[in-house]
Amino acid sequence: MASLKLEHVKKVYDKNVVAVHDFNLEIKDKEFIVFVGPSGCGKSTTLRMIAGLEDISDGTLTIGDRVVNDVEPKDRDIAMVFQNYALYPHITVYENMAFSLRLRKMDNEEVHRRVCQAAEILGITEYLARKPKNLSGGQRQRVAIGRAIVREPQVFLMDEPLSNLDAKLRNQMRAEIILLRKRIDTTFIYVTHDQTEAMTLGDRIVIMKDGYIQQVGTPQEVFETPRNLFVAGFIGSPQMNFLKAKLVKAAGGYQAELYGLKVPLSEEKCALLAKHGAGSQDVILGVRPEHTQLVFDRADNTIEGVLRVNEMMGSELHLHVDLKDGTSVILRIPTLELTEDQRRSLTYGNTLRFTFPERVTQLFDPKSEESLLY
Amino acid sequence: MTNNTSAASGAPVKLRSKKGHERRTNGAIYTVLTVMSIVWLVPFVFLVLQSFRSYKLEKGGMVDYLLPKHFSLDNYAFLFEGSNFFSWCGRALLAALACAVVTALLVHAAGKWLDGRDAAGRGARVGAIGGCLAAGFVVLMALAAALQGFSLAANLVRVACTLIAFLLLGWVIARVYLKQDSKLLRSIPGYVVEDKHEGAKKLIAMMAEFLVLAVLVQYVLKPMEMSQYVRWYVNTLTIALFTSVIQTAIVLSVSYALSRLRFKGRKLIMNTVLVLGLFPGFLTMITLYFLLKQMGLTQAGAVPGLILIYCASSGMGYYISKGFFDTIPKSLDESARIDGATRFQVFLKIIMPLAKPIVIYTILMAFMAPWGDYVFASYVAFGHQNGYNVAVGLYNWVNTNDFQNYFTRFCAGGVLVAVPITALFLALQKYYVEGVTGGAVKG
Repeated sequence: MASLKLEHVKKVYDKNVVAVHDFNLEIKDKEFIVFVGPSGCGKSTTLRMIAGLEDISDGTLTIGDRVVNDVEPKDRDIAMVFQNYALYPHITVYENMAFSLRLRKMDNEEVHRRVCQAAEILGITEYLARKPKNLSGGQRQRVAIGRAIVREPQVFLMDEPLSNLDAKLRNQMRAEIILLRKRIDTTFIYVTHDQTEAMTLGDRIVIMKDGYIQQVGTPQEVFETPRNLFVAGFIGSPQMNFLKAKLVKAAGGYQAELYGLKVPLSEEKCALLAKHGAGSQDVILGVRPEHTQLVFDRADNTIEGVLRVNEMMGSELHLHVDLKDGTSVILRIPTLELTEDQRRSLTYGNTLRFTFPERVTQLFDPKSEESLLY
Repeated sequence: MTNNTSAASGAPVKLRSKKGHERRTNGAIYTVLTVMSIVWLVPFVFLVLQSFRSYKLEKGGMVDYLLPKHFSLDNYAFLFEGSNFFSWCGRALLAALACAVVTALLVHAAGKWLDGRDAAGRGARVGAIGGCLAAGFVVLMALAAALQGFSLAANLVRVACTLIAFLLLGWVIARVYLKQDSKLLRSIPGYVVEDKHEGAKKLIAMMAEFLVLAVLVQYVLKPMEMSQYVRWYVNTLTIALFTSVIQTAIVLSVSYALSRLRFKGRKLIMNTVLVLGLFPGFLTMITLYFLLKQMGLTQAGAVPGLILIYCASSGMGYYISKGFFDTIPKSLDESARIDGATRFQVFLKIIMPLAKPIVIYTILMAFMAPWGDYVFASYVAFGHQNGYNVAVGLYNWVNTNDFQNYFTRFCAGGVLVAVPITALFLALQKYYVEGVTGGAVKG
């Protein structure tokens, strides 16, 4: 159990390729941090620097109150779970889990106690005598986690541990990691490219792109107040809709205008806009698919579009709609809210109208792509 | 497979012609193989048959019949004439057996004495036992030496050898006893000991260790009296054993380093070595001879000289094993390093067991090259009969001595040369095909 501090951490590969720029983050003791981002964003590199598998080109990394830049991985008191499990194929599950303890010259009885305890937590007791090749993917991943928890490390690193599993198993293991986290209360750093995993697991999420941190915050913060276009688009599924809009400054405050829809902005938003010094200008208005509402009974103050695709997801419909300038928008409408007639009218080529509440809109500067409401 | 697909597509005519084609191809292949195997086997059969033709009864180098008229072991007997080889080996074997029995008893007794103590306590006690044994043995050896009137230098060598031998013994005790945590393992529900022959394997390993130990002690106490052939054989064996151990160690560590570490000049080293390897080794022959002569490692010193030569460029043979190491996932290394292993421990405990096939291959190659070498051995030992290896010695029999008289004995010598290599291959061939990386990572 320990806190971590990364100050101006930078990773430069040969030929001056910079993988991570100026990474600053403080991770509290017993916190579950998730690094998330598209592939190549530097999240795994950062994790590997924390693990000591990659050199840190610049900056300092502190675990507890010790600067560990030049400390060998084995002396950092960390454990790591790899995406491809990395089990030792020539020894049994028991010996796999005991490996690190035996290297520490731990007493046989103590080794046995810890291995059995970890095996019990993960439900792999009956496989202890098997070799890894005789296990299924999920079981192997459990062994990999077991190998990490017997160590009782200060920091627990996980590098996309679920991405090799099939969808069903992944959901199950995700739930188990949440439970595991409750049982072994320690600092976790978890890397994933899957925003669902990030949202469900993390106390705080670090969203990265091209080696830069885009935003750090709790799942709710990054969902509700994304700092820029990238974060807004990355978090949430289906992706947030981005619509071109005009910001009009009036005496009372601001108003956004788009496709014939006028959205007067709340006082709170106006204050933020004023703080940013926004005038009458072009903006990008973001609205999540699940926050849209279909309008059937009126034509004024709505956005009009042509339905292209209607995806029936069971409890909800995903409607892909083309606006008149060609912008594609996705609407996520709960099935229960529609009458039979309304549902039948939602066929290919039909025109429909929708709107959304002012409360959920996001506004971004089209040039800097930064949020105007942050 | 091809049959199935064509049957499914409903073309029986095509199927028949395909089958016929396959049969013709197979027929051709088997004919060629049969002819070639006859070509390959005939010389060997000839050699073996000739080796049983007595040099006393049926004289002559070349005779116009294949099967000897009297099958006899005269040629083989000649090879060992004037050597106490068999009685010496017998004594070594007896010593090994005695050692094994005593150790088994010791381990049993030690087990009872050590049971229930913690690791540190057991370690100390095992150390004490080993120390007492080693000390006692050294005293005994010194006494024996004094009585036999050996020189001081010989005594020192003897003491050193026996010390090493008994460190081995202590290690055996420790290994057999301390690793026995099967009691703990058995307490796991559903645990089945995978290897039923574990006990037997341990016993065989122990016997082998004691054999080596006994040979060492025997050799030091009373060196074997050797005939010419036995001398050459021992020379060759010594050279091949040392070379295979040293060369394997070097090759594997070089390949591992080149496969896993990234350092400046890595590519340069690899390319340079590749280009250098294109030059035949004989180019350096004259230079090597003079260098060795400066160090006094020619003629009488041919054995260490040759070991030096064979091991000198071993790092250059890294290519195949590097290729193998590259196929072992890097995340295994990383995982082990995070688990607390040093680079060396990763190499020893993770990579080596996984690379068993390539380790075996490297050992075999490193053993075979000096075993059959003629060129280097002939000029390094130049004219000094005690420094010959088997190839050079046998060639000298039929070259400088009377070819007519010595040919059958040459054949017998040749047959015996093939024995260890054949045994080695038979024992190790299964590792060639065995892949052990299953289940390491997804797949």
